[in-house]
Amino acid sequence: MPNAYWRSLKEREAEELQPPKSETVPTQGEIPSGPGRRGFLKAAGFSFASAWLAACSRAPEQKALPFLEEPEGIIPGKSYWYASTCAACPAACGLLVKTRDGRPIKLEGNPGHPLSQGGLCAVGQASILGLYDSRRLKGPVAAGKSATWEEVDRELGRKLEAVRGQGGAVRLLTGTVHSPTELAVIRRFLAQFKDGRHVQYDALSCSAILDAHERTFGVRVLPRYRFDQADVVVGFDADFLGTWISPVEFTAGYSSGRKPEFLRFCYHIQAESRMSLTGTKADRRIPVSPAGMASLMAEVAAAVEGGAAAGEAGEIAGRLLQAKGRSLVVCGSQDTALQMIANTINHALGNYGQTLDIVHPSRQRLGNDRELELLLRELEAGKVRVLLVAGANPVFELPGGEAVKRAEVVVSFSERPDETAEASHYVCPAPHALESWGDAEPAAGLVTIRQPAVRPLGGARPFVETLAAWTGRPQAAYELVRTTWREEIHPRQRGQADFETFWEQALQRGYAETGSSSPAARAFARPDLKRPAGAPDLELVLYPTPAMLDGRHAYNPWLHELPDPVTKVTWDNYVSLAPGAAARLGIADGDMVRVESGGRAMELPALLQPGQNERTIAVALGYGSLLSRRFADLGPNWIDRAPTVGETGLVGVNAAPWLRFTEGTLRFESAGVTVTKTGKRRPLACTQQHHTLSVPAHLAPSPREPRPIVQETTVARWNGERLRQQPLEPDRPELWPPDHTYGPHRWAMVVDLNACTGCSACVVACQVENNIPVVGRDEVVRKREMHWIRVDRYYSGPVENPQVAHQPMFCQQCEHAPCETVCPVLATVHSAEGLNQQVYNRCVGTRYCANNCPYKTRRFNWFAYARKDALANLVLNPDVTVRSRGVMEKCTFCVQRIQEAKIEAKRRGEPVQDGEILTACQQSCPAQAIYFGNLNQKGAKAAQMMTSARRYRVLEEINVRPSVGYLKIVRHESAAGGEKQHG
Amino acid sequence: MARVYSVFARPLIQGDKRLAQVTEDVCRPMERRPGPWWWAAFTASSALLLLGMSAITYQIATGVGTWGLNTTVGWAFDITNFVFWIGIGHAGTLISAILYLFRQRWRTSVNRSAEAMTLFAVMCAGLFPVIHMGRPWLAYWIFPYPNTRGSLWINFRSPLAWDAFAISTYFIISALFWYVGLIPDLATIRDRGKPGFRQRLAALFSLGWDGSYRTWNRYEMAYLLLAGLATPLVVSVHTIVSWDFAVAVIPGWHATIFPPYFVAGAIFSGLAMVLTLMIIARKTMGLEDYITVRHIERLCKLIIATGGMVGLAYLTEFFMAQYSGNRYEQFVFLNRAMGPFAWAYWTMVSCNVLAPQLLWFRKIRTNLAVVFLLSLLINVGMWFERFVIIVTSLHRDYLPSSWAGYSPTVIEVATLLGSFGLFFTMFLLFCRVLPVIAMGEVKGVLSYGRKHGEGHP
Repeated sequence: MPNAYWRSLKEREAEELQPPKSETVPTQGEIPSGPGRRGFLKAAGFSFASAWLAACSRAPEQKALPFLEEPEGIIPGKSYWYASTCAACPAACGLLVKTRDGRPIKLEGNPGHPLSQGGLCAVGQASILGLYDSRRLKGPVAAGKSATWEEVDRELGRKLEAVRGQGGAVRLLTGTVHSPTELAVIRRFLAQFKDGRHVQYDALSCSAILDAHERTFGVRVLPRYRFDQADVVVGFDADFLGTWISPVEFTAGYSSGRKPEFLRFCYHIQAESRMSLTGTKADRRIPVSPAGMASLMAEVAAAVEGGAAAGEAGEIAGRLLQAKGRSLVVCGSQDTALQMIANTINHALGNYGQTLDIVHPSRQRLGNDRELELLLRELEAGKVRVLLVAGANPVFELPGGEAVKRAEVVVSFSERPDETAEASHYVCPAPHALESWGDAEPAAGLVTIRQPAVRPLGGARPFVETLAAWTGRPQAAYELVRTTWREEIHPRQRGQADFETFWEQALQRGYAETGSSSPAARAFARPDLKRPAGAPDLELVLYPTPAMLDGRHAYNPWLHELPDPVTKVTWDNYVSLAPGAAARLGIADGDMVRVESGGRAMELPALLQPGQNERTIAVALGYGSLLSRRFADLGPNWIDRAPTVGETGLVGVNAAPWLRFTEGTLRFESAGVTVTKTGKRRPLACTQQHHTLSVPAHLAPSPREPRPIVQETTVARWNGERLRQQPLEPDRPELWPPDHTYGPHRWAMVVDLNACTGCSACVVACQVENNIPVVGRDEVVRKREMHWIRVDRYYSGPVENPQVAHQPMFCQQCEHAPCETVCPVLATVHSAEGLNQQVYNRCVGTRYCANNCPYKTRRFNWFAYARKDALANLVLNPDVTVRSRGVMEKCTFCVQRIQEAKIEAKRRGEPVQDGEILTACQQSCPAQAIYFGNLNQKGAKAAQMMTSARRYRVLEEINVRPSVGYLKIVRHESAAGGEKQHG
Repeated sequence: MARVYSVFARPLIQGDKRLAQVTEDVCRPMERRPGPWWWAAFTASSALLLLGMSAITYQIATGVGTWGLNTTVGWAFDITNFVFWIGIGHAGTLISAILYLFRQRWRTSVNRSAEAMTLFAVMCAGLFPVIHMGRPWLAYWIFPYPNTRGSLWINFRSPLAWDAFAISTYFIISALFWYVGLIPDLATIRDRGKPGFRQRLAALFSLGWDGSYRTWNRYEMAYLLLAGLATPLVVSVHTIVSWDFAVAVIPGWHATIFPPYFVAGAIFSGLAMVLTLMIIARKTMGLEDYITVRHIERLCKLIIATGGMVGLAYLTEFFMAQYSGNRYEQFVFLNRAMGPFAWAYWTMVSCNVLAPQLLWFRKIRTNLAVVFLLSLLINVGMWFERFVIIVTSLHRDYLPSSWAGYSPTVIEVATLLGSFGLFFTMFLLFCRVLPVIAMGEVKGVLSYGRKHGEGHP
């Protein structure tokens, strides 16, 4: 560049103001026009090359059809959320339904919902698959043949007309119905008949609780249990965290009472006959046989009322008396006498009005076993002319349920061809809950709306519409719900004068809080507490599992493949025995045993369950349903496969015939059973084969210590170090510069092991969100289940009554990820945000990454898992790739959700806020045990939890630097005295 | 009476052969029709090969799920077979390259077939990394080549990528070395043969060999250089294979002893395989005078040495586990010796450490039936060594919740048998079409025309 000479000072100043000119870099405005020779040649070369490349092969033909008429306010590819109500069980948790392009693809808990508080259980999560079930009934069935609604309406109208004229009993048998609309419609329908009655029952009955309250308080109500208010919780065989009444609500309340960060630490005693999910969380767990439960409860009652008691009863009473009015005694027994003892204890402690609400009672179980028994007797006697069965499957669920066939006309409203539908003359299928309008009132004064998220996929008609049609006033479900709300619900509340505003608000929120008009309870009338008789030798206890409940979702493969939270068994029910009892009987895990009593018998594989009472054997209900017939061909097809179903062609064995009516309630226990070995074996599909953190004794290096995978502290110790903060990363000398530098985002997760109950809602939530295939029983036996998140369960201590720890385990997104270095093709790489990414397209499937994963959280597609059911494929999340055979996969921290939130934040022009991204597992967790967030963001919840003194990382010593922290379990007392590592 | 100057001066080839006789002896099996034994062996091995091919076809069509692997045990038979076959190959390179550089001239009788064995073993080995992949049709992705994916390279940090280089290099060098060694013998075949297809091929591949002093000189130089190139491979290939494990964080794999341990083990197993094949070949092909009991003895001594190294490595592993104070490491080794796969571990120890101790006795070393049996045992033991390392380390690693078992499916067993089928089929074909003994080299060690060999017993 030549020297720039200036002629005058003015010119020099002017020169200096201008930026220096460069010959090579043209400044603005100086870009030469036209491409120039080089540019032209480049462009020509590029276009020639691309034309040539494009001509090489024909692009695969793809058809993307636009909407013929674009729905208003819907942007294709964007998710919309609608508030609704879960209908998977009568607990009626609040839902948010995620829809994409007009189809619901995911259910999540409604965070504002007063009962469920944002959580959703595994069953609720899985219930969306029912919508896309290709084996649902597509229209009404008359006498085994498909018919049209007109034909059915005409024929049944004639028959009902005849009954109206001639008289005769019309019975409507349903599960718990707390929907105001349904109740109104049922009332109007039955009013047409001289002898019309509505009988409600629950297969998982709580009738004894209601009966006991009728006797002690004069009102037949189910109290609303407020676990969040209790400082001492005593459960007598009530699996309230797993299956009892409203587990999501109870788990939310329970875990809010056990937040060490807020110095709240409720003490939980669980006396139970088998190891339930709830028992695994108890601070003190007492294995008692069902027969022994009565005397234990009676002793506790006596002690609480001022008497003296020793031993376990004294201990329980002592704890309860320290927390008068802040304690809660719950009992899962179906013996009204026991329930009255529970009422007496709660009353003596002044818990009514504090932790039990009978003024605004729960309506989640309204069944009346006495009426049910009466109805079954009527049916046996042939006195029922018309029997309508809705929302229930009595033939499958009840002992003597076949009696329904004795009615002159049996109408079922089943969604699927279940046992009752097969026994019915007419099946008038109701649609899936996501296809029709409805409402619910799970607790008095809390009314929720169930709004549809998709137009009905089949020809089903809502139950209320059908009944309305048969009442002579056909109306759409929407109109029926609106009418009820206008006439009944709106007047009950005081906030909104205008119905439309009230309705809109309720629709948006999913629920409305109104007044309720429950009958007033009278003063407590102390019942006579009778001392029960001695204990029988061996008792059979029937119980629901958190996945299968009463078997209403037995069509759902996700729930069958969900490992039981306690036993980790999938795809079967089994006889669980205490290890001591099994040793006496010479029974080992997987032996087929025969359970007999009074002429009844069933054959099931045995499972040795630590912590179970020695005199109890337990069998899960809900299995052996006709709905599980469909799994005969499930799983990859190859020469060495074994079927998912058992010899009967069904999954498991139905234990419901062993239920029995005693003193007006449906009991789960039967005394005097015998168990014998048959000599056959059926190994169970268990996802966990070693159950403690201690290695087998003969292989243990000394000093013999359990592995520090799950860590614990005690309340005393925690109080000492509660305020101490630990650094995010341990201060270690490093030889090398850091491998990765992170930008504004560094994603991390913290799991509170103290809060985690092991309920496994996260497992199903992840399965739905991430399109995880179902592999079938045989593949699980081969240890090839595909769940990206698993909940490890470890026992420690004596086998008669062990302590239990649950540990959700998933990809730890290591900073020094062992998987990343060993992949030969760079199919797993580290992102600038701390994620360990799996590139499915690039993966060739060497499985080296999975071998080198210390946490064994990677999952391999051993086969091309079936995706043949086109309807079921509609549930797939379009944001997540469906993986092909031979490809590795694993947890990605729901990277699709991270991306969605980042794009949205970018559009807004602000950083991603804490709490804006919820991973699927975190969202569903009823205990809110999972925190996810950005470590590089000050004040982010996950970052805060990462500095907690309770935080540790699993296998920290091998320096793979996981991005997942775990918070230690806090125990009230530790067996070893000081801080103890689990094992 | 014989005048024996020293044991080392004993003739390497027995029977006082003349040069022409050597040619005659070696070429005879190629020029006559194969006998019933050959046909029987060939039928059996090609049946195995067919079985293996069917299994592999089925597996590739259906999925790796047809093997008994699971989420916890991601490798078992596949990589066991891979390491086993790579190991088998090692003796060939050792004998042909290292012993050549050390002027161990007794190697001349066995080097040709040992090298052929190397090639076939590497072929068998190379099969497994490909078919063990979930998507074997994309196996070429582990090679770095310019591509249109932006350009997407391989992960140079991954031992599997190193494997790809190591094995392909090894195969190429071994093949070249083998071929260069074959040139003079191909010329012999060319010169002896009746005109026809075989002679034309031999003429083509003998590259115009004229046997002149200059040709020999160049040949010797090329051979020496190739031997120099191949020598590091004896150490490097199995070192790299061992890194597949040593680089991992899994207890039982993560050990710095692995490279020497694997190399020793590889040579050990390779020598055993050489013995197995040689003992059969000398008997069936009438080569007792070329592959003498002395050769067998020397190989046995090498086996004692390498077997000792392997045994030492087993002990060192246990010691290091105990000494490390690492509970996971300690457990893995206790679990190996006493856990569910203890049977495999003790099979390995008895075959690899205990059985070769018999070879200290001259009586046993010279009893070919026993040596043959021992060589088979060592082959079995070395297969189990790899199985033990892979499966016992994986099946119970850090988190007890994911501990699992492993048992092979019929498909896996058929694939293993198929690899033996491939190996023996190739070897049998080799025995038929190429000289199993390097005639040109053996002629250099004949006692013909030398005084000191006279009258040797």
